Amino acid sequence: MMRAGAGQPPGSGMRRFAENLRAAPRRIAESVIRTGWPTTDRARSSFVFGNLFFHLHSVRVHRWTLRWATTWGLGVAAAGGFFLTLVTGILLMFYYKPYPGVAYDSIKDIHFVVPTGQFIRNIHRWSAQLMVVAVFLHMARVFYTAAYRPPREFNWVVGMFLLVTTLGLSFTGYLLPWDQLAYWAITIGANIAQSPREVTDALGITDVFDLGGLQKLLLLGSEEIGEEALIRFYLLHVMILPLVLVALLGVHFWRVRKDGGLARPADADARLGRLAPRTYPVFTETPAKTYQLAAIVRGRTPAVGRGPEHTLPALPHLFYAEAGVFLLATLICLALSMVWDAPLKELANPALPENPAKAPWYFLGLQELVSFSAFMGGIGIPTVVVLGLLLIPYLDRETEGTGEWFGGPGGPKLVLLSAVVGLAAVLGVEAFAIHFGWIREWWPETPQLLITFVNPGTVLTAIYALYSVALVRRYDSTRAGALGLFTCFLCGYVVLTVIGVHFRGPNWEFYWSPAHWPVH
Amino acid sequence: MDVRWNKLLLLGASLATLALLVAAAVEENFAREWRVLQRRYRQRLPAEKARDFSVQLRQIFVPSLRATDRCTSCHVGMSPGEEPIEGDPVFGKHPRVAHEPAEYGCAVCHGGQGRATRKADAHGLVPHWPRPMLPRRYVYAGCGSCHTHLAVPNLDMLARGRALFERYDCLACHALDGRGGTFRPGSVAAASGPDLSGAGAAGFDPQWYEKHLAKSQAPDAGPWRVSFGPIPAEDRRTIEEFLSSRVGAPGLVESKALFHSLGCRGCHKIGGVGGDDGPDLTLEGEKDPARLDFSNVPGERTLPNWLAEHFRAPAAVVPGSQMPQLGLSEEQIDALVFYLLSLRRSDFPEAYWPKDRIRAQRFGEREFATDGATLYGTFCAACHGPRGEGMRYPGLPAFPAIGNPDFLGIASDRFVAATVEHGRPGRRMPAWGEKEGGLRPAEIRAVVAYARSFAGGAPGPVDRQPWRWVRGDVKAGAELYASTCALCHGPRGEGAEGPALANPVLLANATDAYLVETIRRGRRGTSMPGFGSPSPAHRVLSDQEIESIVAFIRTWEGKR
Repeated sequence: MMRAGAGQPPGSGMRRFAENLRAAPRRIAESVIRTGWPTTDRARSSFVFGNLFFHLHSVRVHRWTLRWATTWGLGVAAAGGFFLTLVTGILLMFYYKPYPGVAYDSIKDIHFVVPTGQFIRNIHRWSAQLMVVAVFLHMARVFYTAAYRPPREFNWVVGMFLLVTTLGLSFTGYLLPWDQLAYWAITIGANIAQSPREVTDALGITDVFDLGGLQKLLLLGSEEIGEEALIRFYLLHVMILPLVLVALLGVHFWRVRKDGGLARPADADARLGRLAPRTYPVFTETPAKTYQLAAIVRGRTPAVGRGPEHTLPALPHLFYAEAGVFLLATLICLALSMVWDAPLKELANPALPENPAKAPWYFLGLQELVSFSAFMGGIGIPTVVVLGLLLIPYLDRETEGTGEWFGGPGGPKLVLLSAVVGLAAVLGVEAFAIHFGWIREWWPETPQLLITFVNPGTVLTAIYALYSVALVRRYDSTRAGALGLFTCFLCGYVVLTVIGVHFRGPNWEFYWSPAHWPVH
Repeated sequence: MDVRWNKLLLLGASLATLALLVAAAVEENFAREWRVLQRRYRQRLPAEKARDFSVQLRQIFVPSLRATDRCTSCHVGMSPGEEPIEGDPVFGKHPRVAHEPAEYGCAVCHGGQGRATRKADAHGLVPHWPRPMLPRRYVYAGCGSCHTHLAVPNLDMLARGRALFERYDCLACHALDGRGGTFRPGSVAAASGPDLSGAGAAGFDPQWYEKHLAKSQAPDAGPWRVSFGPIPAEDRRTIEEFLSSRVGAPGLVESKALFHSLGCRGCHKIGGVGGDDGPDLTLEGEKDPARLDFSNVPGERTLPNWLAEHFRAPAAVVPGSQMPQLGLSEEQIDALVFYLLSLRRSDFPEAYWPKDRIRAQRFGEREFATDGATLYGTFCAACHGPRGEGMRYPGLPAFPAIGNPDFLGIASDRFVAATVEHGRPGRRMPAWGEKEGGLRPAEIRAVVAYARSFAGGAPGPVDRQPWRWVRGDVKAGAELYASTCALCHGPRGEGAEGPALANPVLLANATDAYLVETIRRGRRGTSMPGFGSPSPAHRVLSDQEIESIVAFIRTWEGKR
């Protein structure tokens, strides 16, 4: 075997070892940041490009993207909320024990003896809420700026799946504390899953085809909410859905880059004008690479066929914006967690129903519809809405108003009008149903199938649909119809949710305030 | 758009986030209530003890009782191995009780939330905790969690025993329920006897009297000579019975005995024994105050307050309640609240079952005394009155005065016992037989014997004639009934102001002699006149006519 360093003066091995030791920190840093400290534009670019996480961003971003009004940071806030739930959720998993009864005690222990346990649970809860809100708002932003249009259709579809996954994550987390709130909210959820029975019963085919029963069985693993349901929800909540969400999120981010960054108006460059003098300069050095790469990467990388003058390096411009939004989201969650504790009611008691039993707030609009018809409210209308949303980018093939808020024929005025129509319709239908009741109250013998198809929920949906069709004809534009319909549904969702949260009491009766609820 | 604004945002949000995290860490590590209290406790310890004392979370963990009680994190003095600080409300000593708290935990007796480490949560005074701590004055109600069948003697016996205990000045030497136990000032020696508060649970020497007497008569008796004298055998028995009831739960035994003297079980079931008219009270003490209607209850929203107000005016607190206003004194109400709070019944492993619970649940022993007086007090007194005088509650039909000497004079034991056993269908009187109300034949006999004492204890008439001997003219009887009886008893015996005579159970149990005698003599104190004696209000019926009426009444038998 040869001695290392053979042929060198004796004692130099020790010296080289000392040199290597001295150089180790620098070399470690170099090996981690392969490009060296990013001080030049080029180094910044390779820094971003050469990092697994950063390179989901393009190296340079358009100035339009960096305007606050373009996105209001909603996508980043939603992702930030997810990151916070992920971190706090992992911490909670160290103490949480998914078994009925024991689960409740473990949450109590998290509250009372785990260091900052309640604070962490609060953050988990609030960041989950923030995530749901941010995802909804992000969707509204993308819709109103018509950013779903080609080439971004598929990313809109991915976004819809992310929305559903987010709601699923939130909903599955609801059962885990095993308190009264959890138990009865999931009871509502399970009954919604079972609601196709309303139709199969009416058709008299439940014995041969019991879709509702099957769905409920799949969800709960049993007829009743028990240990089977809890382990199912736990597995979905901590493993399956997070993995699904991470995978979808990866695709979502990656597609943002591949689809050419965020949507912007065709005349964005002109509208932006010249750079402010203080802004970090654009291309201070001659590019070492030409855009030959563009020939390999087919399609719309940001710089293809366009001058690079209106792009800025992602580092620092985009990264500071993103980090700022993320920290702001964190701050909001922390502040809320300091003030309001995550709820924990009495131990779940199947013998003692909560009245009213309410689903998580973002499902209370649906629960309001469910109170009219379980099938339509829980499955029929939501399916139609989600399908409609999925199809929007494939139906709206116009180009007017892309990248602009409320862009498209009609514009902000149409949205305002639609908001008025949407609010009037939902308030009108609700007021009618609350004041006069519905068919069953007038003719108790009415067959269920009729009520399933003619109830305040379906009537409201029909009004919105007709209004939307009228808009398509009036403006001769699909986008106009979509703007109207989306706005209407948004109004309907908000109003129904508020009614479900605040104005519904025991037995789902209407009350002006919870103070008027009768005592059970 | 300018990167500087985003940098500022990042800086500001980061700093604020950091500040909140630091605040949370400080709160967690320094400001927690139990940490503050333990530091205060340490300051009050002597220096050498304070050195060894570490501020840390403390708990009593008893897996078999599902107790994880962190109460000792604040109440450090009650933590095993720590020194209590006398007289301090937080760090003080746990009073001596039958069970060592370190082996049983805290919440099992006191209620509250053992896992909690903040005062409000731990004491259960927060929303969504259904078991708040028992107030101090009712604290022994917590015994009911396990001692579901705590045996109690008769209330009067209890009072007599206590009176005798005091009259013979036992309190001079012995402590009992926190009283007595020191020789009075001016005495010769500080000779104090053992505390007898737990004598019923721990047991006592059956030779106590002989030994006491021997000591007091010994030549060197000293203070014994003046402090102990002979006690008659009957008083001794009463004192011993009284002592057997001293199980270390002062107040609970008395309140339970009171409950069993007011006839509450006539309508309410506890542990499967009692009537059906009122709600089952087995778990009354576990009612969640958050689920009670306090709209007509002044004062604090606690279960004791709700129960007390409910006793004062049942129908005002629970609209539509059938429970009559019992006219109880405030002391009685307080005692009943005490007892109801003790109806808790946690299901612990059988190894923890107390003896009386096993005797009751396995061998069917009663948790209350089974002499006639107690049984009557337990099941009958609420409706028939404490002395059988009957009751008239507003809104309810009058309850019969079974102590009426006219009734007892003609009702045979057999008839009364049969009425108790089978009840009176259609009336409020339920069947108390073993299969229905759960009274055993011997117990029914005891109740009947006790009822006799209302009429001076004279034995009931013995049926010399056969049950059915009347040979009356039914047709004549029908006419007489229509003209004389129907007004009060209804044309078809269905009852109106007077009781229903067509009642199958009445007809099955009443002998002809009973019916004839009732018509002839009437029932003093009621509207039923004696038709055998002259009166300005009605005509006198001959024996023949009375028998005809009875024969007619008999035709209803088996018809419905």
